[in-house]
Amino acid sequence: MRILLTLLLVYIAYPAVAQQENDLGTEAQRAEGKEVYDIKCAHCHGYEGDASAVATPYLRPTPRDFTSGNYKFRSTASGELPTTEDIKRSIRLGMPYTSMPAWEGILSETEITDLAYYLKTFEPAFDGPYGNPTVVEIPRAPSYSADPDHLARGQEIFAANQCADCHGENGRGNGESAPELMDDWGDPIRAADMTKRWTFRAGATREDIYRTFMTGLNGTPMPSYEQTIDAEDRWALVDYVWSLSRDTPDYGTTVTVQGRSGELVLSEGLFEAAPQVYFPIVGQITEPGRAFYPGVNGISVKAVYNNSEIAIQLQWHDMTAETDGMNNPLIEMPMFDPAQPDTTMDGWSDAVAILLPSRTPEGLERPYFMFGDSRFPMSIWYTDLATDSAAVLIGQGSGRIADNGIALERSASYEDGVWTVQFKGPRNQGELTMPEATFVPISFTIWDGFNGERGNKRGLSAWYHLYLEPMETQSAVLPMAKWFLIVLGAELLIVGLVNLRARRRKTA
Amino acid sequence: MNLFVLLAIAAAMVLVQFVVTRWVKLNLLAWMGIWWVALWAAFSYGINPPLPNSIIVLFMAIITIALVAYLSADNEELKQAQESIVRFMVTRQYRVALLIVMFLIPAAVAAWTFASMNEAPQPPSSGRTIHPPPPSSITFQGTSINLTTANNPIRELQHTDEAAFAEHVANGRRIYFENCFYCHGDNMEGAGMFAHGYDPLPANFNDATTIAMLQESYLFWRIAKGAPGLPSESTPWSSAMPAWEDFLTEEEIWEVIIFLYEFTGFEPRAQGMPH
Repeated sequence: MRILLTLLLVYIAYPAVAQQENDLGTEAQRAEGKEVYDIKCAHCHGYEGDASAVATPYLRPTPRDFTSGNYKFRSTASGELPTTEDIKRSIRLGMPYTSMPAWEGILSETEITDLAYYLKTFEPAFDGPYGNPTVVEIPRAPSYSADPDHLARGQEIFAANQCADCHGENGRGNGESAPELMDDWGDPIRAADMTKRWTFRAGATREDIYRTFMTGLNGTPMPSYEQTIDAEDRWALVDYVWSLSRDTPDYGTTVTVQGRSGELVLSEGLFEAAPQVYFPIVGQITEPGRAFYPGVNGISVKAVYNNSEIAIQLQWHDMTAETDGMNNPLIEMPMFDPAQPDTTMDGWSDAVAILLPSRTPEGLERPYFMFGDSRFPMSIWYTDLATDSAAVLIGQGSGRIADNGIALERSASYEDGVWTVQFKGPRNQGELTMPEATFVPISFTIWDGFNGERGNKRGLSAWYHLYLEPMETQSAVLPMAKWFLIVLGAELLIVGLVNLRARRRKTA
Repeated sequence: MNLFVLLAIAAAMVLVQFVVTRWVKLNLLAWMGIWWVALWAAFSYGINPPLPNSIIVLFMAIITIALVAYLSADNEELKQAQESIVRFMVTRQYRVALLIVMFLIPAAVAAWTFASMNEAPQPPSSGRTIHPPPPSSITFQGTSINLTTANNPIRELQHTDEAAFAEHVANGRRIYFENCFYCHGDNMEGAGMFAHGYDPLPANFNDATTIAMLQESYLFWRIAKGAPGLPSESTPWSSAMPAWEDFLTEEEIWEVIIFLYEFTGFEPRAQGMPH
């Protein structure tokens, strides 16, 4: 009984004790933390924690400046410092689709704790009266509800709180003010694309989404909505946001091209039944013009073909459509140099290209995935979206790209954050043929004009495949019946013979 | 290895051996069938990353031959097995079971035919050579470097001038984080922020089969000449590795090599050791 009473007293007294003392770790823990920090973290976050280091200028979003005390991910009220556990969580899980990796499994739990204590030393406020922030309570999430009324309520909350101003009408990160967003340090920052939940920096579970709009992201334009959204509406908003995205990017490797009997007329309906595949787009960082923060991170592809032609539809999310100005894969780009940042960001239009081999490859050989080479040139289906034409260019490497005179049919439209570009060209282009039931290498390049992308400053993909599904697939019924009967016949023969012999033996 | 699956298979086998046999007497054929299924399950589900189907088929063919060989090694056992099959075919009380089996076998073949005709077509697999043999010498920014004899000039400072060595390591660190970590990653595990968009994936330097088993001159070749310098069996057309001779000096490349070893804790393979 006495023990129980003591435990009860400790339990009651505990929060009071915790509130008086800031959780700063021991001298030894902080020293251990520094050891890890200087090896694993300093090259991005700076030896002084001020986000000034060799790698910093190459990264966007910019690595956290710990001397500011502004932490994006927190469980605490907007504007407050994070808890030790919050800092540890960010280290453990990292920030998806940024240069901040998840350190869980690489650093030990002790090392992560030590690091968190060391990070706190960069901001004196951790040692002051604000060092013990108020934690915003996250209730246990009710299970996800796709009830239309519930989601409609969420959408109302989304509209009422002007979420669309930054995140766009349908959450594609293309709101009206999205292009001007800056973080507290004056660096451009993108509003999250809610249709790509896997890129959410503070986590992609429903509790994470709840926490993010309750606490806001310090240092960014994302405020807290704790005061403006009533408790009963919060999960409706969470579920609405949740409903906008699939769970994983589900990256594909092959575009299955479906056969069509009639003429291919470029239109929305042409691709309706064709399967869609999603590929990652990353920065071109192999050659000069290195794009360390490309504007586009993925592309969806559909394709159909008929007897003589192939039509390919590309779709990607883009904050703004740049249809003025110009673009060209031949524009010469200097090496990326932090000392001389790219200042000629204006005047570049959006552009896109489908990259194919210039001849049907035998075996594994294909053009160098940058822009081809002289050994194996590349066929580049290019369109500058400031124009309304498209052409086939022949690439023999960056800077060695020429128009080969084949015109392509093209249609392009931009609506609510999505570019849709459709190409149509002949299936036989000189040495490149696209027979049925074969795999043809394909890759993609996107220039985001808003991001100053042109020439070799671009987003690109690795080599993937097109597969032309045969127009007439052989029915499996006949071969199945054939094999069934052959095996059954063999069985009957064996069993029959065995029985015959057994009977003979018996009679004998 | 998928330890959980392998343990489950082993446990099932133990269960059959010591528990099931108390009630049911298993003859040799049943035992062979159980072994066959257990091994098939182990190959199909117990190994990570999964084996290609063609390899599993090959393994199972070998196992089938081995089991038949085992059976035919002993005349008595062979005869017993033969008799039990014949008994199954001629005895009246097994008639229903026999009919079921006689239906199931062709049905399985038909199902297999259906599955193989409806299989998603597979793109040609790359079968890429990861560490191709290096050339004996390369031309680096106009001068010839003999790769069989070249040593990292910074390596000797490790013991003679620690301060100078540390400075080179620091420089290597700067070069790595200005140029390499977007693909090869913060922790050199080949999981940088752009790694998911490239094929082949960037090399993982923490893996014992990369820099730990290579000479420093080999790394020099790979860094200096990048993807364009690969032989065709290593698919130079798809690797995103730049030819760093266009951007870095000879000393900078040696420095970043030193840093890779310092950071991962590996030692380079000494010059002159056979492959």
